Amino acid sequence: MSLSAEDGGVLEAVRRGDSRALEDLYRRHGPRLYGLLLRMLRETADAEEILQETFVEAWKRAAEYSPSRGSVEAWLITIARSRAIDRIRHRGARLRMVRQTEQLAAAEPPPADPPDVHAQTRLRRALGTLPPEQRQALELAYWAGLSQSEISEHTGDPLGTVKTRVRLGLQRLAELLAG
Amino acid sequence: MTHQEFLDQVDAYALGALDPAEARALETHLASEGPDPGCDAALARARDAVAAIASDLSPVTPPPRAWEAIARSIASPQSAESPQRLRAPTRGHVPAWAYAMAAAAVLTLVVSGLGVREARRSAAQASASAAECARELAEARIDVLRKEDALRLLTEPGTQLVSLRPSAAAQGALAQGSGVVLFNPRGRALFLGRSLPAEATRDYELWLLRDGKPIAAGLLPPGPDGRVFADVRPELLTAGRPAGFAVSIEQKGGERDAPRGPVILSGALASP
Repeated sequence: MSLSAEDGGVLEAVRRGDSRALEDLYRRHGPRLYGLLLRMLRETADAEEILQETFVEAWKRAAEYSPSRGSVEAWLITIARSRAIDRIRHRGARLRMVRQTEQLAAAEPPPADPPDVHAQTRLRRALGTLPPEQRQALELAYWAGLSQSEISEHTGDPLGTVKTRVRLGLQRLAELLAG
Repeated sequence: MTHQEFLDQVDAYALGALDPAEARALETHLASEGPDPGCDAALARARDAVAAIASDLSPVTPPPRAWEAIARSIASPQSAESPQRLRAPTRGHVPAWAYAMAAAAVLTLVVSGLGVREARRSAAQASASAAECARELAEARIDVLRKEDALRLLTEPGTQLVSLRPSAAAQGALAQGSGVVLFNPRGRALFLGRSLPAEATRDYELWLLRDGKPIAAGLLPPGPDGRVFADVRPELLTAGRPAGFAVSIEQKGGERDAPRGPVILSGALASP
């Protein structure tokens, strides 16, 4: 039985109110989600809190899951990212003034790639094959939680251009990671 | 919303990159269409692509308290509606605007060319070392969002600054190097270094010190100006509070278990 099919059975049990099934789901996907949340939020306390909220929400909304709209893992990731993005945007609102100040004041050349202490991954290699503009749009959306409008504001590119980059970038990335 | 408009936006929706009104329009379309196979298939493809990105990351085992909190939440009908907060280390009760104001004040002073002494006098909340950090950040050639994130950490309640000073083993140009770690007990740490000249055959490596043992925390590639800006992977902080931090210089690729090259910078984390 595939992992996805097993997940479907486990989620069906969660839907019936089986807390041990939720624990099973947590053991299957918690570490991956926690790694994702640590990467997005960069704080263990926030990551733990959003991880908890994700599984409590999955517990309450299991009946809404539809396999025709993606795997159980994708559904959990959608919940986790949505809550993480809310947290990031909450942080961003209070620092918008700083950002504006900084953007105006910091006359500097285009940023170089920041140093990265993480090992090279398959994802990084795949991202490396994308046009830089598509890669930047995807990274700002995925990791920084920016909306397309905010990306447009941040990069100075027209909103329509940003939308095209996000759409083509994600579709291309899906092909590369699946290959 | 037409079906084509849905298809044009579904990738951004799956990424969480739509504005709230756009997302609501797309969700309304999904609900009104019912089980439309075309829409569902497009959404499934996009969600699975987003999941594929996450699946490339290394999993990190959460601490046991994470599941314990979930179990408590779902066991209680009341708390199932309102998840219990983990909140291991709690935030202070200082209004959010105060931190934004402090960060803005420090940054504004820095970018307008005032010195540390002036910054200290004008922004009473900012210590000299915090102002120095802000200046380093303002000058660092890094993405504006990373700067913003670092400034947020700098002004976060509980953040401690750990100065890393040259040790006796730092000879020649290496003796000019310095660094600071911004550490927050909520599980975040950031290293800022300066005057660390690039070495052709060696790498700088950051170490956490915990329970008397060094823990490799990653290589520190310096920029062309000798500055280094690197996150400490948060999963390294889940096991508890470090006693301090150090930087060594190693053969290319670094060491896994303990420094073999000279430790050129080190600093202890003060007790909370």
